Amino acid sequence: MSKVLRKKGVSLGAVLLAIMLTITACGSGGGGGSKSAALPDLDGRYTPDPSTPAWKLDTKKETTDLTWYVNADWWNTDFGKDTVTKKIKEDLNINIKFITGDDTKLNTFFAGGDMPDIITVFDSNSAVAQKASTWALPLNDLAEKYDPYFNQVAAKDTMNWFQQKDGKTYGYPDYSNTQADYDSGTIPAKTAFIIRQDVYEAIGKPSMKTPEEFESAMEKIKSQFPQLIPFGFNSIGTGTGSLGDVLQDYLGVPLEDKDGKFYNRNLDEDYLTWLKTLNTVYRNGDISDDSFADDGTAFEEKVKSGKYATIMLDGVPQQGGNLQTFMTNNPEDKYIAVDGPQSTVGNQPTLNQSGITGWMINYITKKAKDPAKAIQVFTYLLSDEGQALVNFGIEGETYKKNSDGTVEFLPAVKELQLTNSDKFKKDYRMGEFIFFGHDRYKALNKDSSPEAIKQMQEWGNGKLKPHFILENINPDQGTAEARSLSAIDTTWNTTLVSLIRSKTDDDFNKTLDAYKKFLDDNNWSKIVDIRSEKMQANREKLGIK
Amino acid sequence: MNRKAIREDLNSRVFNAFNITLLVIITLVIIIPLWNVIISSLSSGQALAEGGFIFWSPEFSLENYRAVFQDDSIWQAFFISVSKTVLGVATHVFFCAMIGYALSKQNLRGRKLYVAMGVITMFFSGGMIPIYLLIKSLGLLNTFWVYIIPALFSYYDVVILMNFFRNVPDALEESAKIDGAGEWRIFLKIFIPLSMPAMATIALFNGVGQWNDFLTTKLYITDQALYPLQMKLYEIIVQSQTQSMQNASSAVIETTTKGVQLATIVITTLPIVVIYPLLQRYFISGIMMGAVKE
Repeated sequence: MSKVLRKKGVSLGAVLLAIMLTITACGSGGGGGSKSAALPDLDGRYTPDPSTPAWKLDTKKETTDLTWYVNADWWNTDFGKDTVTKKIKEDLNINIKFITGDDTKLNTFFAGGDMPDIITVFDSNSAVAQKASTWALPLNDLAEKYDPYFNQVAAKDTMNWFQQKDGKTYGYPDYSNTQADYDSGTIPAKTAFIIRQDVYEAIGKPSMKTPEEFESAMEKIKSQFPQLIPFGFNSIGTGTGSLGDVLQDYLGVPLEDKDGKFYNRNLDEDYLTWLKTLNTVYRNGDISDDSFADDGTAFEEKVKSGKYATIMLDGVPQQGGNLQTFMTNNPEDKYIAVDGPQSTVGNQPTLNQSGITGWMINYITKKAKDPAKAIQVFTYLLSDEGQALVNFGIEGETYKKNSDGTVEFLPAVKELQLTNSDKFKKDYRMGEFIFFGHDRYKALNKDSSPEAIKQMQEWGNGKLKPHFILENINPDQGTAEARSLSAIDTTWNTTLVSLIRSKTDDDFNKTLDAYKKFLDDNNWSKIVDIRSEKMQANREKLGIK
Repeated sequence: MNRKAIREDLNSRVFNAFNITLLVIITLVIIIPLWNVIISSLSSGQALAEGGFIFWSPEFSLENYRAVFQDDSIWQAFFISVSKTVLGVATHVFFCAMIGYALSKQNLRGRKLYVAMGVITMFFSGGMIPIYLLIKSLGLLNTFWVYIIPALFSYYDVVILMNFFRNVPDALEESAKIDGAGEWRIFLKIFIPLSMPAMATIALFNGVGQWNDFLTTKLYITDQALYPLQMKLYEIIVQSQTQSMQNASSAVIETTTKGVQLATIVITTLPIVVIYPLLQRYFISGIMMGAVKE
């Protein structure tokens, strides 16, 4: 699960901060800052036990109503109608009312002070998340007081990673991968260079590892398949699609310089060689101008209908449905992953996957009516039991366990998933309740990935490398450096497109020089210092030597 | 004499030809995209995926509309949309007309102050958060009335109506007064009927605004039962975009995000297109012909 779908990060800005400060100033107690609100006592409801999840002990008779705000419009707000959420409802004796919205809506909560019990946001670097200690309850305290079992299911590394200055952790993410997860080999790669099998065979399965080989392969495709676009890539939008850091990872551009300082990978010689190659490919007419303008939807339509002969694809699972559609519509054809562009200096690929920061991040607010129940929900969803439920459903009803430890959906369920995904979502909803999801559970179920992408994921085995040291190393929001960086990033995004679309070699060099000059004019050396410092702090947090 | 006439005739013909050509071009520029949207919304996902501009669909299908309407709650949303638009427009127009009527009278006490207050609201707004807090303390959050009450007043519309009322000859009002009519009767029986074009214009603008408004819902409503059509359709679109994210390894998906989006465009625009001709008859000038002998 990558960040492909992450909402456009609208920064919440000063308004929100001001409001937060006023709220904490005039809120009850007005302690604010690091002092956590006094947690209500359990009054004999149950005695917490470190070896048993509290939801099994809780004797509260009446159903607890929780409001849960998810900062995304696409979240499915149904609760208690499908197999998965019905079971959650029964086990925990809760009723969840989901509210969805965007940053504007989130603002109104902070402004109005009528906070929901649980809040899920999509950016652990946003102002809201940074200020969590002013409006959320520390998970460490909640666990200690109500549900010590939480510490057994929460990953230590992840908890440390999200520690705030007061030594407490307020939010817990999903899809946070620790070093141990990477070592275990259960995380599938999400990047691949893929080619249509019929095209691959027709042009004689050439190698495409060096710039020359790549160029000539593209030319061959154009002459034999004039109706196809030889080379495609993820929609660029306001970013770099799959031609920026994704391609850098594919080529294995180093993450840091030899002194462990920040390294500007965009100016790596090896990478620039490949950009020049892409420029040649473009000038040969093997990259469509549309690809630079297509939005995500347009790109997906092309994947679905097999318009691209080859794709540098990031977010393989997200395109699973589309790749599967292409495969289903063309039974004798499919996309396969092959070795695409390789480093010209012998680096090995260092593909990126979801890092330790994860994706969504969940908080329990200070206004939670029953914080004990809220932390029970966290524990439940984090535990193997809860994860088995949200990923596979109920044993014997929707899935069965095999002797080798893997699981598979029962035939009727599998059938429904293939033929009527809408009904599957309405009735079962497996694989959708992802607040505390983790890739290792997906790996247990061979049905959780569509047939079309299995080969791509296998191709990526052993090519992943954690990028932990590069996570959250940007200058703090609101500083001059942060503003410079955002200008630099925007410039890089347009520079990348201009480089690939250069009319002549001379243009290419001019564009590149302009980018370098822009760096010099915008505090670049300061940003590098800040990033190097933060990289060092990351190493300390995670105990990386 | 004759020659002159011919020359004029030719001139006016050239002028007419030019006019007609220009208007035809402008009309086409407006109609072609609309046509494309309608035809595309009636096409199967496969046909749309081929891309390009569609004049006539290779494969007609109602799948996109089925995808939109399969959600039962859409009818509830439709009901909310219609009722908020009807009620909102009626109250808004009447309310603004009352204020406009009062402010059009030179002898109203404190008139200058009211006008100044009104003008300030045209240029300055409290901003999103203060307005939210106001709505919250008025107890309008999550109620149907949040669609109606805050939308009652718009000084901009008041000014338009006020100017219209000023054009009504004083003699008309005087004669009504002599016949024994009070302010209410004069307002309701004389001024409103005479100002129908202005009323209709404002009703149309306000109606389109009410119909298309989803920000109010986004900010103040969390109860799904109060969602208008716009919000519901927005959700449907967003969810159709995230289908692939859920790793549904489903077989052929009949619809595409684009198709669903186009279908929702048609569904939301249609009512306005239908209502416009009905309002057309009120846009007539010269109603006051012969009302007063000057």
